[in-house]
Amino acid sequence: MPPTESPPRSADDDAPAAVGWSQLAQDVAVTLWPAFLAAAVATMFFFAFFDPSLLGAGAVPPRWLQSRMAGYAVGFFFFWSIGTLSSALTLYLVRTAHQRQAPPAARTRGPM
Amino acid sequence: MSGPAGPVAAEPTSLYAAQQKIYPREVDGRFDRLRRLAVWLLLGLFYLLPWLPWAGRQSVLFDLPARKFYVFGLVFWPQDFFYLTWLLVIAGVSLFFCTALAGRLWCGYACPQTVWTEVFLRVEYWFEGDRHRRIRLDRGPWTRGKILRKAGKHTAWIVLALWTGLTFVGFFTPIRQLGAEVLALATGPWESFWILFYGAATWGNAGFLREQVCVYMCPYARFQSAMFDRDTLIIAYDPARGEPRGSRARRADPRAAGLGDCIDCRACVQACPTGIDIRNGLQYECIACAACVDACDSVMDRMGYARGLIRYTSQQALEGRGTHVIRPRMLVYGALLGLLIAGFFVSLALRTPVGLDLMRDRNALYRTLPGGRIENVYLVRIVNKDTRRHRYVLQAAGLPGIVLDTDAREHVVGPGDVYSVAARVRVPAAAAHGSQLIRVQVRAVDEPRFAVEREARFLGP
Ligand code: SF4
Ligand code: SF4
Repeated sequence: MPPTESPPRSADDDAPAAVGWSQLAQDVAVTLWPAFLAAAVATMFFFAFFDPSLLGAGAVPPRWLQSRMAGYAVGFFFFWSIGTLSSALTLYLVRTAHQRQAPPAARTRGPM
Repeated sequence: MSGPAGPVAAEPTSLYAAQQKIYPREVDGRFDRLRRLAVWLLLGLFYLLPWLPWAGRQSVLFDLPARKFYVFGLVFWPQDFFYLTWLLVIAGVSLFFCTALAGRLWCGYACPQTVWTEVFLRVEYWFEGDRHRRIRLDRGPWTRGKILRKAGKHTAWIVLALWTGLTFVGFFTPIRQLGAEVLALATGPWESFWILFYGAATWGNAGFLREQVCVYMCPYARFQSAMFDRDTLIIAYDPARGEPRGSRARRADPRAAGLGDCIDCRACVQACPTGIDIRNGLQYECIACAACVDACDSVMDRMGYARGLIRYTSQQALEGRGTHVIRPRMLVYGALLGLLIAGFFVSLALRTPVGLDLMRDRNALYRTLPGGRIENVYLVRIVNKDTRRHRYVLQAAGLPGIVLDTDAREHVVGPGDVYSVAARVRVPAAAAHGSQLIRVQVRAVDEPRFAVEREARFLGP
C-alpha cells in the first residue's frame, strides 16, 4: 500500500491536461452563435408585426412565401446569414487591427 | 479576482489543433441530487406540457401557422406582442437579481445547455461506464464491444435529440397532429426541417460541445461577473483551510505534518465539466455546477475532515466577514422586479379581451340613399381574445343622427375566433360633408366591460 490516501491518479494523469478549442473552432463559434441569437430575436420582432403571408411587393406574395412556416424559416435564415456576415467582418477587423500593431517578429502572444 | 487565470493564450500553432476532450468524473452528493431533481422537473415540463390538453386544445401552443398564442386560459395575438416584450424584460431583470444574489445558479441548474448535457452524459454513462472506463474505451482499439457501445450511445442520443426536436416544434404547431404525421411519415417540409434542425442542435450541443459552449460561446458567462459583488454566492475553495496542500496517510495529523486540509487528490478537477481547477480562484469558466463541492465533500468524509473545503460561500465570508443578503443593489433589483411583475399581471387582468379592426370598403367612397341619407360601408373584424364565446354588438357615434346597420344585430364569436362583417354606417345628408371622423364601438352584450372603440373616416359629398 502506498502511504497516500488519494483516489487513483493513473486514469487522470494520462487524461489530457490542456483542454479547449482550437482557434478555428472558436472563430466559427463566435461568428455563428451571436448571429444565431440575434436572428432569433429579429425573427420574433419582425414577424410579430408582419404576417409573412401578407408580405411581398404585389398583392399576391411570391410562391415561396405562401406558407407562413416557409416565411418564418426564410426570414430566420436571412437574418442569421446577415448576422453571420456582420460577426465575421467584426472578427476580421479586430484580428487584423491586432496584427498590425505588433511587429511580426515579436508576435508570440497577443497583448490583450 | 481570478489571479493568474488570464485569457486563453492564442498560440498560432493551435489554429487547427484537434479539440481535446473533457471526461468529467461522475459525482454523487447533495448538489448533484439537487441538479438531477431540477433536470427532471424542467425536462418533464418541456416534454409533457405540449401534450397536456386545456379546455379542448393544447395547453401551451405558440401557433405560428395561425398566428395565435395559447397559454392555458389566455390567448395572445400578434397585437399583444407588447406582453411578450414585457416578459422578456422581466426575465432579464430576474436574471440580474438572481445573479447578484446567488451567482450562477442559472448555469448550474436551469440552463438548457446544462440540463440537456446532464441527460446526454447520463446516457453516455449507461453505455460506456464511468470516467475511467470511458477514457480507456476511447484509447482502446475498435473491438466489437466498443463498436456496440458507441453505436448504442449514438442511437440513444439521436432518438433523444429527435424527440426533443419534435417536442420543440410541438410548441409551435399542434403536437398531436404533428405526432400523427410523424408516425405516418407525412410531416410537412418545414416541420421536418425544424425537427431535424433542433434535433441536430441538441445532439451537437449536449453530446459534443457541452460546457465548451459556456466557455466560448455564452454571452451570459462573460458579463455575469459585472453583476457580482463581494456578497454574491459563489463556489470557492477555502485556501486558508486547505493550504498547504499535499498527500498524506489517512491517519496522519495534517497539522503535525504542516499541511492544510487539501490532500491534492484532484477529485475536484476531475469532476469539473469545464476542466478547471477551482483551487486557482474564481474563474469565468466556472459554471457553478457544484460538482467539485460534491467531489471534495466525499473526499473530506473519507478522510474524516469537516466538509466544505470547497463550498457555496461569498467573498466576504471567505475573508471571515458576514455576508449581507440585503444590500442596496438587491433592493433596487428587487423593487424593479416586483414592479414589473405586478404591472404585468395588472395589465393582463385589465386587458380588454376583444379586438376591433375597421377597413373602408374600397369599391365606393359613399352612396346617397333614397331619402337623402349618406352611407359608407366598412369591413369590420371582431377578434374574440377571451376563452369563452361572446355576443357582440356594434355602434357608431360622432355625427348627429348616425346609425350603424349590419345584417344580424348581434354577432356571435367563438373563443379565439375572428369574425368579419360588413357594417353600413348612415348619416343624414345635412350632417355629412367632406371627410369627418366617426367612432365605432364593439361591445359584448353579456359582458359590457369588454368594449373597444376605433376611429374611422366617414366620407360625404
Ligand atoms: S455558461 Fe451559459 S451556457 Fe453555460 S450553463 Fe451558464 S448560461 Fe448556460
Ligand atoms: S469549478 Fe466546480 S463548480 Fe465550477 S464548473 Fe468546475 S466543478 Fe463546477
